[in-house]
Amino acid sequence: MLKSWKLKEVVLMSLFSVVFGIIYLLFLHAGNIWAGFIGPIAYEWIFGIWFIVSIICMYIIRKPGAAVISETIAAAVEVLLGNAVGPRLILAGVVQGLGAEAAFAATGYKKFNIWVLMLAGIGASIFSFVYGYFMGGFTVFSTGYVLLMLGLRIMSGALIAGVGGKAVVDGLLATGSLRGYAITRTAKGDARV
Amino acid sequence: MSDVIQFIDVSFRFPDEEKVILDHLSFSVKAGEKVVITGPSGSGKTTLLYLCNRLYPENCDGVMNGSLKLFDKESSKYAPGEVNHKIATVFQDPDAQFCMMTVEEELAFTLENLNIPREEMDGKIAAVLELTGLTDFRNAVIQQLSGGEKQRIATACALIMEPEVLLLDEPISHLDPYTGKKFISWLDELQQERALTVVAIEHRLDLWDGFFDREIVLESTNRVNELMTRESSIQGSQSLYVEAVHNDSFLKPVSFHLQKGEVAVLAGPNGSGKSTLLKALCQLIPAKGTVTPDRLGYVPQSPEFLFITKSVRDEIAFGGGTEVETLLERLYLQNVAEAHPFAVSHGQKRRVAIGAMLADGREIILMDEPTSGQDAASLSELYELIDERARQGTTFLIVTHDMEFASAIADSVLLMDEGQLTGKFNAESVWASEDLLTAHHLLKPKGGTPREVCFA
Amino acid sequence: MKSALHNMNPSVKFLIITICMFTLAFFFNPWTPLIVWIGVLLVQLLFSRINWKVWTLFMIPFVIMAFGYFWTTLVFAEEKTGPVVWTILNMEIREVLLNHALALSFRVLAFSGLSLLFALTTKPVSFILSLMQQMKLSPKIAYSILVGYQFLPVLKDEFVQIQQAHRLRGATQKGNIITRLLNMRKILLPMLAGAVRKSERAAFAMEARGFTGEKRTSFYHIIGIGKLDVYMAALFLMLLIVSCASSSFI
Repeated sequence: MLKSWKLKEVVLMSLFSVVFGIIYLLFLHAGNIWAGFIGPIAYEWIFGIWFIVSIICMYIIRKPGAAVISETIAAAVEVLLGNAVGPRLILAGVVQGLGAEAAFAATGYKKFNIWVLMLAGIGASIFSFVYGYFMGGFTVFSTGYVLLMLGLRIMSGALIAGVGGKAVVDGLLATGSLRGYAITRTAKGDARV
Repeated sequence: MSDVIQFIDVSFRFPDEEKVILDHLSFSVKAGEKVVITGPSGSGKTTLLYLCNRLYPENCDGVMNGSLKLFDKESSKYAPGEVNHKIATVFQDPDAQFCMMTVEEELAFTLENLNIPREEMDGKIAAVLELTGLTDFRNAVIQQLSGGEKQRIATACALIMEPEVLLLDEPISHLDPYTGKKFISWLDELQQERALTVVAIEHRLDLWDGFFDREIVLESTNRVNELMTRESSIQGSQSLYVEAVHNDSFLKPVSFHLQKGEVAVLAGPNGSGKSTLLKALCQLIPAKGTVTPDRLGYVPQSPEFLFITKSVRDEIAFGGGTEVETLLERLYLQNVAEAHPFAVSHGQKRRVAIGAMLADGREIILMDEPTSGQDAASLSELYELIDERARQGTTFLIVTHDMEFASAIADSVLLMDEGQLTGKFNAESVWASEDLLTAHHLLKPKGGTPREVCFA
Repeated sequence: MKSALHNMNPSVKFLIITICMFTLAFFFNPWTPLIVWIGVLLVQLLFSRINWKVWTLFMIPFVIMAFGYFWTTLVFAEEKTGPVVWTILNMEIREVLLNHALALSFRVLAFSGLSLLFALTTKPVSFILSLMQQMKLSPKIAYSILVGYQFLPVLKDEFVQIQQAHRLRGATQKGNIITRLLNMRKILLPMLAGAVRKSERAAFAMEARGFTGEKRTSFYHIIGIGKLDVYMAALFLMLLIVSCASSSFI
């Protein structure tokens, strides 16, 4: 699978992960302590931010595997940056990435419109929730509470990762800096039709 | 002697563009030659170099016609990476050509790529560090080194492959002239020791001082005029008062005044506190002392760091100024007014940044290293811009290492060393004083052409 | 002895810790995770020279998070049977429920303890090299990750500069987390545009030095596996077995 990948595409995924790693570190750490008091539901509404890298990379590079590889790299980079959650993050990254990847695979890696990107966000939400359900022992919670968490996470995945990811890439595309990646080739192709 | 690189009727274009970058190009380089390829931006210098080390056409899906032979073998017949240890490259950006943390790891990475047995690695690393005089840097963290040191490390990484050809991609364009010159003489010694073939692309030959045997000119556009020494546009009244500005850590109290329409250059060795002073003046970092007026304009080395909107017009209008259309016109930005500020040329970005500052009522503009990495055409554009604005009454304080540029543009020169302002000098007196120049790691400018000669 | 954890093979350590975590996920009694957490502390006391001040700083948020788990379980749990053991504010806390709540919060502590053990005793670069040498991670991915890591200081510096430039233009309003998220986009754009440029340059530089992404035959830094790894793995497994067995005794 990796044979068809250009080195610059893999390095791009890694550098994007570092950029988001810095954003996570510098933006989201303030006020975290208070969120802790609220319990497992505190982060649900913002959970989509963890999936955004996979959707951004797939939307730009458009090769099978882009979502799962980028999300795994992002998790590994997080570990290197000194995230204390450490090894757990890598597995979570693989699972989330598979969730997003599933949505793209289901559409045959041909469509990259807003709905598919939102679907990828939802896929990542569901996969990561199942993983979290098992690891975090959510079985003990009442069904209503679990459904509330899941609902919040799906919304966050669709909006922050799907809509937000598209907005970020479209902004980047407008700057003209994505020349030489799959996204510009199709953008140009669309324009000709 | 045999040809190591041979272009026969080579044409090249990028897949999504009509324009042909290289058009039926033929030339060859013999073993042991030192060749420089020149041409303005966009003439295909970089493309040509990337064809020589086989980064192109694969990496950009480019379309190549004609025959390109490396060591008498068609370049397309090599496997990826196969020819790279014989043809090594030093790139221009000192920040973006490493992948490991330390010098030793980086050199080892290169050896691993060549599948050198582990037992031989230590010896080879020690030998190349010895050869390049970098033994003390073996365990240094690369990103903590200066630009000049990084370029030497990059050269060592190229040499450890024991290449026959060394490609140089504008290796000194991100270095200040003083460091650049030292890099060149260092390279000259290495070349003589190893009898390397050197192929470089470069837009500024003045520092190379006869290093090359031969120049290949890619596209002879009308040569940009040398910068002429500008006439002062000082308009008498004081515009900037700086009193005892300092911070707790590094910057010692700095005081000076600038007049309306004055163009001042701030110079000094790397790490002397020039950028810190600029940031302190516009209150980007906490500092004590007084600055009048308190709102100063600031243009960072990458002007796009300032941009927050989606079009050039919105960018200039962002601060709520009323003269947006006038500014667009005066800065020649009307035809890109609707373009994304990130998507315009570097020179235009700088104009947008200055426009945004002026629209904000920031009449004093501080510029951080606007000359770094710029070719002659863009330096000349920068010169015109500053000259024109200064005549309209804008005051400039410009950080630059480029004394050619400074001698052409500056009314006065502020020199800094170790966080302290040595003083504010009349520009002429600085160029006349060897002591001041060497103490601040500056090269004496060769002298701008006087105005009359240029018009002749 | 004090360096055993630091000298352990990072991949082995990673696998062992992952096994511990997955196993813990099956247990809903308070003792199993608690024993693991205490065990992990003891192992670190004996076999590492970590900075306990740093450890405490990292642990505090997890303790708070554990508390968050504790009360949410009490309030939102499914199971409402068993004898009442405790009454606060007219709420009857039953034994099964209390056990569940404690189990989940101790699980948070145990997970964090294991993660911190890994984070504080493993060199990032060695971890990636080990993934490549022992776990057959593709060099293409491994070195791309290392490039990213090596760019961290450069990108951090850029982040600060962009923030400063935006502040000068009056573009950073302080506000709630939503406005901060929206503002983040403006900082992201120049950073990502720069990242695209840098990644191409770095990739080219790597290829120009003969990097093909193929498996390599020799490594300069060899990350080995030895007897130490067997002993340490056995130690962790023993701890895991003891903790699991405790659920049936206590």
